[in-house]
Amino acid sequence: MCTRFFIRNSTAEELDSRFAVRPEYQGDVPKTHFKPRVRKTLSARRWKVALSQDGHVDIAGVLKRIQKGVEFICYCLIFYVQLFSYSVFIHQSKGLFGSSCWVALIPTALSMNEMSSGNGGGSSMKHGRQNVERWYPIIGSGKFITTPISTDDGQPINDPSTYSDLGDDSEAMSTNDAGLDKNVTQWKLGLHQIGLDVIRTDRALIFYESEANQTKLWNVLAIYAWVDNSIGYVQGMNDICSPMVILMENEADAFWCFERAMRRLRENFRSNAHSIGVQSQLSTLAGIMKAVDPKLHQHLEELNGGEYLFALRMLMVLFRRELSFVDALYLWEVMWAMEYNPNIFTLYEMSRSRSNVGADKNVASNIDSKLLKQYGKFERKIIETGQTEQKSPLAVFLVASVLETKNKRLLTEAKGPDDVVEIVGDITAHLDVKKALNDALNIQEKYLSKASASL
Amino acid sequence: MALCTEEEQSEDYLFKVVLIGDSAVGKSNLLARFARDEFYPNSKSTIGVEFQTQKMDINGKEVKAQIWDTAGQERFRAVTSAYYRGAVGALLVYDISRRQTFDDIGRWLNELHTHSDMNVVTILVGNKSDLKDLREVSTAEGKALAEAQGLFFIETSALDSSNVAAAFQTVVIEIYNILSRKVIQTQELKKEDPAWMGSGKTIVLHDGNQEVDGQAKKGGCC
Repeated sequence: MCTRFFIRNSTAEELDSRFAVRPEYQGDVPKTHFKPRVRKTLSARRWKVALSQDGHVDIAGVLKRIQKGVEFICYCLIFYVQLFSYSVFIHQSKGLFGSSCWVALIPTALSMNEMSSGNGGGSSMKHGRQNVERWYPIIGSGKFITTPISTDDGQPINDPSTYSDLGDDSEAMSTNDAGLDKNVTQWKLGLHQIGLDVIRTDRALIFYESEANQTKLWNVLAIYAWVDNSIGYVQGMNDICSPMVILMENEADAFWCFERAMRRLRENFRSNAHSIGVQSQLSTLAGIMKAVDPKLHQHLEELNGGEYLFALRMLMVLFRRELSFVDALYLWEVMWAMEYNPNIFTLYEMSRSRSNVGADKNVASNIDSKLLKQYGKFERKIIETGQTEQKSPLAVFLVASVLETKNKRLLTEAKGPDDVVEIVGDITAHLDVKKALNDALNIQEKYLSKASASL
Repeated sequence: MALCTEEEQSEDYLFKVVLIGDSAVGKSNLLARFARDEFYPNSKSTIGVEFQTQKMDINGKEVKAQIWDTAGQERFRAVTSAYYRGAVGALLVYDISRRQTFDDIGRWLNELHTHSDMNVVTILVGNKSDLKDLREVSTAEGKALAEAQGLFFIETSALDSSNVAAAFQTVVIEIYNILSRKVIQTQELKKEDPAWMGSGKTIVLHDGNQEVDGQAKKGGCC
C-alpha cells in the first residue's frame, strides 16, 4: 500500500485554490500574510521526497528543516496532519481506514483506547454498521441535519420536511429508541447543533458551497462526538476540523487527523455545569502574565476579574478567527513543530487524557544532546530547564505575546472589558505569525527562568 | 488621549445588556446590524462571548449600552452564566422559522433569572421576520408568551434591518426610565468607577415595576 493519504500533488497555486474565498466575501475575511517563497517553502517535489515508500512522512527530517527556519513547509500543510496521524500508521491495523464504509466502523461500543490499539476490528465492525443504520440512517446518506431529531428524553421527533427525501431509511428514524442507552440519546441530541455550525463553518470558502463537502465535515464531527462521548461536540471543534476536511480528500483520513489533533485539544472542550476545560488554560495564562508582566496582569485583573475570558476563543480555536485560513494553518504547523516531542506517539498512547503533550520525565533525566536536537524549540526549553511539570501549550504563551504587543494600549486605554476585547481584537488580520511565535518563545524563557528562580 | 478623557466625561450611563437565545437564531447579526449597520451572511458561531459597546442618545443624555453577545450552545453555559452578572437588560432571541428555538425560551428565562437580578429589563425578540414563507412561530404566539412572562416583545430582521434598533432601544430606554424614576444619583455609572463590574450588580432595579411597564408598553414597540 503506498501513499495512504490522498494528497493532491498540487502546486502552490492549486493548493491555494482549495482555500479560495468566494468573490462576494473577499472583503469579509482577514488577509493572508503568508507567501510561499522559493526554496523556503517546500515544493510539491521536495515534499514527495520526504515521504517514505509506504507514504509515511520522514518526520525527523522535515522537522529539522522547519526548526532551521530554512524551509517552512507551509503550503504542504498536510505535514502537521501527518504529524498526528503518524501513530495511526504505526499502531492501527492496516485497512482500518480508507475503507469506504468507515463510517460504519466507528459507532460501535469501541472505546477510544480499543480503537487506537487497533484491536477493534472484526465482528464489532459489522455490529457497528448495523447499529449506526438503526440509530441514525442519515450518516453515510450524503445528507446532514440542522433540526433536532429527538427530544430530551430520547423520543424521536419526526419531521417530514427533513426526512422526506431519505426514502426507506426514514422508517428507521421512527423506531422506538427507548431501549437504546443514554449515550445514544445524548449523542442524537447534539447532532442538529453540529449541522447548525457546519453550515456556518468557513462559508466564505468556495469549498463549502458544496453540500457534499459540508456533509463530510458533519460526518466527521458527528462520528467524533460519538467516539469521544465524554466530550461530545462543542462549538469551535468545527473550526479545528474544517482544515482537515479540506486537506484530506478521504473522509476517513480527515477523521483520523481530526481525532489526533483533538488529543491535544480535547480537554479545552470538556464542559460541565460549572466550567469549561479551556478555563484551566486561561488560569495558566493568568499565571504566566502575573510572572512576566505583573503590571499588565493587575490591570487586566481589575477589568476582567482575572479570568482572562476574552482569550477563550483564541485558545479554543487556535487563532482561526483572528487569522486568514492559510495563516492559521501556518501558525498551527509551526506551533506544533515547536512543540514536537520525539516521544509524542508513546505519550499519545499512554494517556490520551492530557490536553497537551508535555515533556516526558523519564526522557528528561537521561537525554543526550543529539536527542535533544530532535525536540521542537518550545519543548526543548522545557527539557533543558528540567521544568517538565510545566504543561502549558505554546498557544497559551502565544496569547501572552499578543497581550504584550498591546501592553501600552491596554494599560492606557482599556477602561472596561469591552475595551480589552477591542484592543486585543485589533490583531485580527495584523498578526505576524512568525514574530508572535518568537515572542511567545521569549516569554516562555522568561517565565521558566522566573519559575526556576522561585524554586 | 485628551479626546478620550473628554469622551469619558460625557458618558453618563453605562448599561450592560446581554443577548441570549439558542444557537443560530441571529444574535450576532442583530448586534452587527445595531452597532455597525452591517449583516454578515457568512458569520460564524460565537465562541464564548463577544461584545460591543454602542452609544445612544436618550433625552439628550449619552447612554452607553455594553452589549454582550453569547454562544448559543448549552455547553458554554458555564462561562456565559458569568456574563449575566451585572446585566440590567436582556434580549431573548428566537428564530421565527424554527419552532424549537421558541420552545426553548423558557429555559433561557430560567437561566437569566438564576444568574441575574429578577428585574432585568427583558425583551422577547422573534428574529428573521424576513423569512415569511418559512415562519413556524406566529406573531400572536410570540406576543402571548411575552405577555405571560411580562416581557416586551418585538419581531426583527437583522437581514433587512427592520425593528433592530427598536429592539435595543426599547430595552435601553426602559432601563433609563426606571433609573430616572429611582433617581439614583449616587450610582451614576461612570466607567472609572470600578464598582460597575464584578460586584454582581451594576444597577439595582428594586421593585416589580418592570412587569407592569412591560405589559403596558408592549403594543407600542412592534
